[in-house]
Amino acid sequence: MNPQQDATLASPALPALVSPVERVIVPTKRRVRVRDLIREAPVIRVLAGRDFKVKYKQSSLGPLWLVFQPLALLAGFFVAFRGLANVSTEGVPYASFALVGLSAWAFFQASLTIGTASVITNSAFVRFTPCPRPAFPVASIIASLPSFAVTAAGAIVVAAASGVLSPRVVLLPLGLVWLVALTAGIVGIVSALAVRYRDIISALPFLLQVGIFLAPVGYSIAQLSPPTRAIVELNPLTGVIEAWRWMMLSGYEVSATPIVISLVETVLLVFAGWWVFSRLETTMADDI
Amino acid sequence: MAGLDGNGPRPVAVAASGLGKDFRLGEHRNLRITARRLLRRRDELAMFRALSGVNLTAYRGESIGLVGTNGSGKSTLLQILAGTVVPTHGMMRVYGRVMPLLAVGQGFHPELTGRENVTLFASSLGIPRQVIESQMDAVTAFAELERHMDTPVKRFSSGMTSRLSFSVAMQFPADIYIFDEVLAVVDGEFQERCLEAIKSLHREGRTVVFVSHHADQVADVCERVVWLENGSVRSEGPTGEILPAYEHAHDVAHD
Repeated sequence: MNPQQDATLASPALPALVSPVERVIVPTKRRVRVRDLIREAPVIRVLAGRDFKVKYKQSSLGPLWLVFQPLALLAGFFVAFRGLANVSTEGVPYASFALVGLSAWAFFQASLTIGTASVITNSAFVRFTPCPRPAFPVASIIASLPSFAVTAAGAIVVAAASGVLSPRVVLLPLGLVWLVALTAGIVGIVSALAVRYRDIISALPFLLQVGIFLAPVGYSIAQLSPPTRAIVELNPLTGVIEAWRWMMLSGYEVSATPIVISLVETVLLVFAGWWVFSRLETTMADDI
Repeated sequence: MAGLDGNGPRPVAVAASGLGKDFRLGEHRNLRITARRLLRRRDELAMFRALSGVNLTAYRGESIGLVGTNGSGKSTLLQILAGTVVPTHGMMRVYGRVMPLLAVGQGFHPELTGRENVTLFASSLGIPRQVIESQMDAVTAFAELERHMDTPVKRFSSGMTSRLSFSVAMQFPADIYIFDEVLAVVDGEFQERCLEAIKSLHREGRTVVFVSHHADQVADVCERVVWLENGSVRSEGPTGEILPAYEHAHDVAHD
């Protein structure tokens, strides 16, 4: 009945196969492993490329929007924080001060915007292909790196032009790793939960709107009253933004409290993100 | 050595034992459910057993047809085999790489071009970049979309999308090919070519798992048929024996 059962399965059309691997499928609460992420690098790269590309398909200005978005926010900040509230920035020119905050924020916002819905928008892959699911949120984070690159480059140029660029700017890659880890933890949690609880999709835009005011993106925490400051310091982004300002702006003083709080929260969020995502991953095709 | 079976030294491709899957019925979440939970009036969750106690062996190089009415568990079984759904009971062993074609045209992004979508879809199956690039011309030729591969898929007709989808599945190497009711959406001439291509996969010694509501297609492709009913295997055996029995039961039920 089966004339050919030997290993010579190669045909002109189909490349030859390596010997079959065994896969055991059993009921389990968790099946993805951290090391799978490394094996999945190729598909993550393709998905990230797609996430970035489709953002600007059939758009005449394309990636130029990467520049306009932070510029519009910066203009808004000038009116609200500088013009109306007249926030002090410890002697740093306001444009430099705000652009550093905005470069962290631009990445965080872009990642969360695509990342939260990343599993849901890939529902066809989730339901019909064995595509590794952690690839979806990770790809959305990678696809957001250009948002960071454009704003951070702007922040560095403006800081250098106004003579406040600190040599500590060489530490910025560490700052980026920190922000990526923090963002990944949060995106891991919300993208997995959003599959079950679509409430997250409704909550996200307004949480991001509130979030930009609860983090020192456009103002300095030094000015806040102690109770307000304590609340803002609990925001995990606060420590990252403060550290970035310290890295990029000479003469900027930071206190250790928000940095330590944020580092601890980052570590907790990274573990929580993986825990929640890998736990909910096994039921994603059922829930979606 | 991939598992040996008592009937002889035939290598096994897929082996399921006691395989089961429960789904929750009804809307999983809405405001009413939330309110009842908060009031501690927790509804008993209604469960639906889509598969129960399925024992099944597919040997390497075999072409197996799954038949059964809607809701008999065919698709759930294939989803578990493809690795998208995790079973709630039992075990399944799979030897080799699976190429699942569970739905035609699903997973293509409308804004991406045909070529970009082939790369995306094939990468999602874990196919290495070099293989994708080397097979791109074969995919294009099989789908007869030479002039359209750089056009966004949203401008494709549904037939073109189906052809591309099918072509992706046929032109990349795997040990086990799954076709879940995929020929229903393509037109006559392409359908014939797909059937021929599926049969040639089988001739090359690859394992084929084939689901179709068309008994003649099952008869054409499959040497053995598994008849699922209410999530369990009702009977299995050579196509010539099982398919007429299934068709008879089906006709009787409908008359």
